[in-house]
Amino acid sequence: MSSVNSEYLIKMIQVKADFEAEIYPGIKGDITIRIPAEQIISVVEIFLGNFDYCHLSAITVQKRAFDIENIEVFYNFWAGRSLSLMVELIGPSKQLPSLISLIPGADFYEREAAEMFGIEFTGREETPHLLLPDDWDEGPPFLSSEENDG
Amino acid sequence: MDKISIPIGPQHPLLKEPLSMKIDISGEKVLGGSLRLGYVHRGIERLAQQRTYVQDLYLIERICGICSHIHTTTFCRAVEALLGIEIPPRAQYIRGLMCELERIHSHLLWLGIIAKHIGLDTIFMHTWHDREMSLDIMEEISGGRVLHAVNQIGGVRIDLDQEHYEMIRRILKKLHSQVEGLLDVFETEPAAMARTKGVAPLSTELIKSYGVVGPIARASGVNFDIRRDDPYPPYDQIDFKVITHSGGDAWARTFVRVEETRESVNLCESILDNMPDGEVSVRVPRRVPEGEVIVRSEAPRGELFYYLRSDGSDKPARLKVRTPTLSALSLLPIQLSAINVADIPVVLAGVDLCVACADR
Repeated sequence: MSSVNSEYLIKMIQVKADFEAEIYPGIKGDITIRIPAEQIISVVEIFLGNFDYCHLSAITVQKRAFDIENIEVFYNFWAGRSLSLMVELIGPSKQLPSLISLIPGADFYEREAAEMFGIEFTGREETPHLLLPDDWDEGPPFLSSEENDG
Repeated sequence: MDKISIPIGPQHPLLKEPLSMKIDISGEKVLGGSLRLGYVHRGIERLAQQRTYVQDLYLIERICGICSHIHTTTFCRAVEALLGIEIPPRAQYIRGLMCELERIHSHLLWLGIIAKHIGLDTIFMHTWHDREMSLDIMEEISGGRVLHAVNQIGGVRIDLDQEHYEMIRRILKKLHSQVEGLLDVFETEPAAMARTKGVAPLSTELIKSYGVVGPIARASGVNFDIRRDDPYPPYDQIDFKVITHSGGDAWARTFVRVEETRESVNLCESILDNMPDGEVSVRVPRRVPEGEVIVRSEAPRGELFYYLRSDGSDKPARLKVRTPTLSALSLLPIQLSAINVADIPVVLAGVDLCVACADR
């Protein structure tokens, strides 16, 4: 496993992107760094420029509860160890800059997050559904309430 | 020459699973393509939130018909991490044995498919015959050829006795000699060389930028294997080789999978040689303490990613599954660019598609 630790990452982000990121200590087996949504591109650029091998494993999206509007987005990387960037989408606006110009492999992950959670990724072409039927009109499945569960 | 778009799928004789592709060609040259998933999307992540952890084991095992065991292994490891328990060493080794048998079965299945697509029907029949041996072992020890239901939260539900050891060693010995000859075929058979050497090469940079993992990445020189780089039992206690090749073409992908099959046979033998004594499971509570965890395993097709969050109840609050096929599929349109129409089957087969895994 890599010797990368949370202090090193926070300092690296502070020096190179000029803002104070914070550690989200919740996830076992992972260093999770909480950043503002508008900083995602700059921090990913730092990651890609600083690690010999860094790939995006997944984009994990979740709502803590059905009655909470906020959505959490985790960009899960492998960079010699498990490393995630956490972004919180607060309020009704569910926009995030797309990563596909930096990581073309983010395409399917973003499309899935868009379909399942209604996130709008900006800076990329609109694409047809990847997983849901073309005529799906019931809204993002993960945003429907528990009562709608079959 | 005019561009023609050919729709392939979602149901097509070339594909074993439903996947819709549109391939643009001009004469004999492929210009590019796009694809559409979702025909076997079952909403498993959402369904998992509505079931208990024990019920989820049965659900998750059904994500994939090839690598069902690695899915439940990864899920169990995630739940056990949140429970803060370590399963008995014997259970870890039995899980590892099943994982390697599954890798043998998956790789031999793939080799058969690629052989079939390049016209080596005899090799297709040989590899699928050999694959039966790994399925026979799994059936003998678990009762299931496809769904083994070996894992339970807290360990495994089966144990091995002396008769099992003898049977497994006998079959592995036979499998070993069969796999030895496989690489010779791909190294010497002119048809195999002509249809794979230099076909659909993938550079290391492209693999890295798309986050492609597993044998495809290792065949392009990416030296990454979760079993070694984020080791979990029993791989942290057993020596094994990570197979890589710098070729990046369809032949390199074949080489890596043949060598990995051989290495998995060796690993199975090492696991049996070092099998600890003792219990195979521990009792666990029904409710899982509040918390979040990320767990990765090396599935036959590469890094398998699970995120699990518990709210303290007996059902997951969120389960995220990223299968290795999804990253490989995103690269498919690039792979299809500038190849010959006749190479489409080799490229498609080379990805080792598992649509059920990608769709979930």
